[in-house]
Amino acid sequence: MTESPIFNELTSIVGGENASRDPETLESYAVDGVVPKIILFPGNIEQISEIMKAASQAGVSVVPAGSGTKKGMGNKPLGADVILSTKKLSRVIEHESADLVATAECGIALADLQSCLRRKNQFLPVDPPHVPGGATLGGIIAANDSGPLRLRYGTSRELMIGMKVVRADGRIFKGGSKVVKNVAGYDMPKLFVGSFGTLGIIAEATFRLYPVPESSGTYIASFESLDDAHGAVRSLIDSALVINAVEHLNPALAGTMAERLGFGSDFNRYTLAVRIMNVSRAVEDQMKAVMDITRGSGGKGFIIGAENEEAFWHEVREFPWRSSEQAGAVLKAGVLISDVPRVFLMLDEISGKYGIRARAAARAGNGIVIISIDGDGESVINSVKELREFSESAGGSLTVREASPDIKPALDAWGGMGSSLGLMKRIKTAFDPGNILNPGRLF
Amino acid sequence: MQSSTKETIERPPGWKKDFGERLTRILGRDGVIYADDELLAYDADALTGYRIKPLFVVLPGTSGEVSRVMKMCYEEDVPFVPRGAGTGLSGGALPTEEGIVISLARMNRIIEVDIPNERVVVEPGVTNLSVTNAVSSYGYYYAPDPSSQIVCTIGGNVAENSGGVHCLKYGVTANHVLGLEVVLPDGEIIETGGKTPDHPGYDIMGLMVGSEGLLGIVTRVTLRIIKKPETVKTLFASFDRIEDAGASVSGITARGVIPAGMEIMDNLCIRSVEEAVHAGYPVDAGSILLVELDGPRAEVDAQMPVVEEVLRGHNALEIRIARDAKERDLFWKGRKNAFPAMGRVSSDYYVQDGVIPRSKLAQVLGRIGELSREYGLSVGNVFHAGDGNLHPLVLYNSKNEGESEKALELAGRILGVCVEAGGSITGEHGVGNDKKRFLSLMFDENDLDTMNLMRCAFDSKGLSNPGKVFPTPRTCVEQGMKPYAGHPLHKAGLGEMY
Ligand SMILES: Cc1cc2nc3c(=O)[nH]c(=O)nc-3n(C[C@H](O)[C@H](O)[C@H](O)COP(=O)(O)OP(=O)(O)OC[C@H]3O[C@@H](n4cnc5c(N)ncnc54)[C@H](O)[C@@H]3O)c2cc1C
Repeated sequence: MTESPIFNELTSIVGGENASRDPETLESYAVDGVVPKIILFPGNIEQISEIMKAASQAGVSVVPAGSGTKKGMGNKPLGADVILSTKKLSRVIEHESADLVATAECGIALADLQSCLRRKNQFLPVDPPHVPGGATLGGIIAANDSGPLRLRYGTSRELMIGMKVVRADGRIFKGGSKVVKNVAGYDMPKLFVGSFGTLGIIAEATFRLYPVPESSGTYIASFESLDDAHGAVRSLIDSALVINAVEHLNPALAGTMAERLGFGSDFNRYTLAVRIMNVSRAVEDQMKAVMDITRGSGGKGFIIGAENEEAFWHEVREFPWRSSEQAGAVLKAGVLISDVPRVFLMLDEISGKYGIRARAAARAGNGIVIISIDGDGESVINSVKELREFSESAGGSLTVREASPDIKPALDAWGGMGSSLGLMKRIKTAFDPGNILNPGRLF
Repeated sequence: MQSSTKETIERPPGWKKDFGERLTRILGRDGVIYADDELLAYDADALTGYRIKPLFVVLPGTSGEVSRVMKMCYEEDVPFVPRGAGTGLSGGALPTEEGIVISLARMNRIIEVDIPNERVVVEPGVTNLSVTNAVSSYGYYYAPDPSSQIVCTIGGNVAENSGGVHCLKYGVTANHVLGLEVVLPDGEIIETGGKTPDHPGYDIMGLMVGSEGLLGIVTRVTLRIIKKPETVKTLFASFDRIEDAGASVSGITARGVIPAGMEIMDNLCIRSVEEAVHAGYPVDAGSILLVELDGPRAEVDAQMPVVEEVLRGHNALEIRIARDAKERDLFWKGRKNAFPAMGRVSSDYYVQDGVIPRSKLAQVLGRIGELSREYGLSVGNVFHAGDGNLHPLVLYNSKNEGESEKALELAGRILGVCVEAGGSITGEHGVGNDKKRFLSLMFDENDLDTMNLMRCAFDSKGLSNPGKVFPTPRTCVEQGMKPYAGHPLHKAGLGEMY
C-alpha cells in the first residue's frame, strides 16, 4: 500500500525533504489510533492545491494538521492516509496597523503572530488553550477555539474578515476581503470557522485587530454559595462595566488553581475571576465597582498582583492541563448564561453518583463551561451522557474535547446537531464529494 | 434547474388562477395580493430605478405558512422573492415576473425578551428600532443601527448583514445574530444557532446572514442585546479639506482609540442636510467629521483629549462637543438624514456603498473628486469613515438625455477605485440586482464557483431570489455534485477501510 504511486506523486509535489514515511514519525501523527501513510509539509498554497488535486483523484483521505494540539477533538477519522501539515506556512503576509488588519498564513503559531503584532502595539484578541504548545492560527479557526476574552471580543468567527482556502478538488478560492466591512457575496469564511478541516484547507486568513489595552486588572472573589456567586455574575453583566472576562470556577477547580498558584488554602469555594482591560484610570475605577458588586453578593476577594495576573489567566486557559493519554474526559458545554449554575449543580450530583471528580471553569458571561471529568471509564461515559442530556434539553450542547483512548470510541464527540444536520451533510458533499477531507471527524 | 428569470416557463392555461387559488387556500383571502394596483406597491425596493410586477404577493403569518408556500413554489418551479420593508438599496427585493413575492410584514411579533440571558427572539418582520424599544427600559439596546432603522426589518437586516453608524466598535448584524429559524428553499424548516453559544457543526447561521434571500427565508431570529454604555460623548470637527478629515480617522485609531462611530460628510452633504434638518453644522466647512466615544466614564474622559489632539494636528477648524443628549441627537439627526436630504438638492441620486481600507481614505476621496470632474456630475460624500465604508452620492437628472447612464458608469468607476484600493464593492447595502455586474471585480471564477457550490446545497433549483448577486446565472447540474462514490483506492482493493 505504502508503495503505491500516489504517495510517490505526493512526495514529489513537496520534495522528499518535506515528506515523511518513516514509521516512527507516522506513529507519532496517529489520529485516534489511525496511523497515516505519509506526512506532507507543503511550503505554499500552490503545493497544497497540487496535493489536493492528486489526493482527490486517487481518493486518499487527507487530514489537515497544525501543531496537533487539538487532534483529540472530533470523532475517530474514517481515514487519515495523508497528514497535511501547515507548519511550513507560517508567514505574516501583512500587518496594516493603520487599518487594524493583518493577514497571515494559517500554519503560523498564534504566539508568533501575536509577537509580530505587538511590535505595533496591536493584538488578535483570541486566547484559546494550547497557545504555548504551538496552537496554529488555522487550527484555532478550524476548531473555533476560544478563551475567556471572548466575552469582550468574540471568537475568531467574529474577528475574521477574509480567508484563502484550498478545496478538496484543489481549486483555490478566497472569501471575504481585507476590509472590516464587506457584504459582497456570501460570507464564506464563516463556513470554515469550526469546520474541523472537513471542507477545505484553510491556507490564509485576514483578521481585524485591536490595540493592546494600556492596563489590566483582575479581581478574584470567593463565595459561600453558588447562588451568591451567580448573583454577582448577574449584577456584573447587568452593569455598564466593560468587562474582558468573567470566569466562574467550581470549588474543586478553585482549590486546584489556588494550589498551583500558591494562593493559600481555603479556596474550595465557588470563585469568580473578573478581568478588566482598559486605560489605567478606567481599570482602577472599574475594579472598584467590581469589588463593590461582588461584596454586595457576599464575595470576599482580592486584586491579584500584577506579577501573578498573567500566570493566573494562563492557568485558566490551559485548564485542565491534560495530555490526551490521561484517563477521563474534557468537555465543553454551551448553555444559557442563567443555566451555568445548573451545570455546576449537575456536576455535584454526578460526582456523588458516579464517584468522579469534576472540575469546571465557566465563561460565565457567555454560557460556556469547560469541564474536566476524572474517574473510571464507565463513570466518565455515564457522566458525559447525563451532562449532554441536560445541556441539550436546556437548548444547548455538550461536546467532548478530549477523552482517553479507552473511552473515546464510546463517546460521540458532538452530540446532536439539530435540524440543520441534513443541510450540513449536503454542504459537505458539495465541497468534498469523495469524502476525503477528514472523513468521519464531524459526521 | 433554471436560475435565470429571463427564460419563460411554459404553463398550462389557467395555471396562474389555479396557483393563486391554492395560495389563498393556505393563506386566506387577505393573505394573497392579486390586484394590479395593489401589486404596484411591491414592484421595487428603495432602489426605484428597477421595477417589476410579480405574479402575486403573499403575506404569510407563520413559518408553517411560509413553508407550505415555498413547498408549492418548489413543486411548480415558481421563483420567489422574500421581502421585508423594501428599504433595500440594491434591488434585493426586486420581484421576478415569473414569481411571487413573500412578504414577511405580518410576521412582526417580538416572541421573547430574555434580559438575564441578554437575548431577544423576534419574527423577521419586526423593525430594527422596535427591538431596542423593547429592551431600553432595562438599560439594553440592539447595536446595529442602520439609518433606516425606524422602518427596516430584522429579516431584511439579516439578509443584507446591515450595518449602521456604530459598527466600527460594535460590529454588524452578523455579530449580533445568534440563532435563526430558516425555511429552506424547498420548504424544509431548520434551526441554526440559538440562544446558547457554540453549537457544533457548520455555521449555517453565519452563512445565512448576508445571503440576500438566496438561501431561504428567515422566519425567526435570536438577537444579542447589549447594555447601554455608561457615558456617550459626541463631537464634530470641521475641516477645510476633506482629506484632513479622512487622515484624522486613521490618526485616531492609530492612537489606540476605537470610537463607537466616525462619520464624514463633505460640503455638498453638509449644506443639504442643514437645509433639511438644521443640525447646526457649519455650512461653509469643506467637511465635517463626527466622532462618538462611549464606554466607562474614565475611558471616555481619557480618550477625548487624544481625539481632540489628533483633530487639531490635522487642521481642524472648529471642534464642538455635544453638551447633552439633545444636542448629540441633533448631530446624529443630520447624519442619519443625509440620503433623504440629498433628494432636495438633486432630482435623482444614486448611492454607492464601496469600502476601502481606512488608511486610504484621503487618496480615494481625491480620486473620486477627479472622476466627478471628469464626468461633470456632482458627487456628495457621506460615509462611515471609521470602517472605510463610503457612500458617494452621484447626483444626476434622469430627464437629461443619457445622464442616468453616465451616473451609473461613474458609480461603477468609483467601485473600481475602491476595489483597487484593496476594498469591497459593498459594505452594507448588498449586491442585490444592482451591483452583480461588479462582483467579479472582487471574486474570480474559483471564488464564484465556490459560492455557487454552497448555494446549490441550499437551493438546487435556484428558485430563491433568483437573478440576484451573481453576475451570470449559474445552474447546479454542471457542478460535479456527485453522490459519494467511495474512494477509488478502496474500490481497487488498495486501501483499507477504517
Ligand atoms: C434612507 C435609507 C437609509 C439606509 N441606511 C442604511 C444604513 O445605515 N445601513 C445599512 O446597512 N443599510 C441602510 N439602508 C438599506 C436598508 O435599509 C437595509 O438594507 C435593510 O436591512 C433592508 O431591510 P428591509 O426590511 O427593508 O428589507 P428589504 O429591502 O425588503 O429586503 C432586503 C433583502 O432582504 C431579503 N429579505 C427580506 N426579508 C427576508 C427574510 N425574512 N428572509 C430572507 N431574506 C429576506 C430580500 O429578498 C432582499 O434581498 C438604508 C436604506 C434607506 C432607504
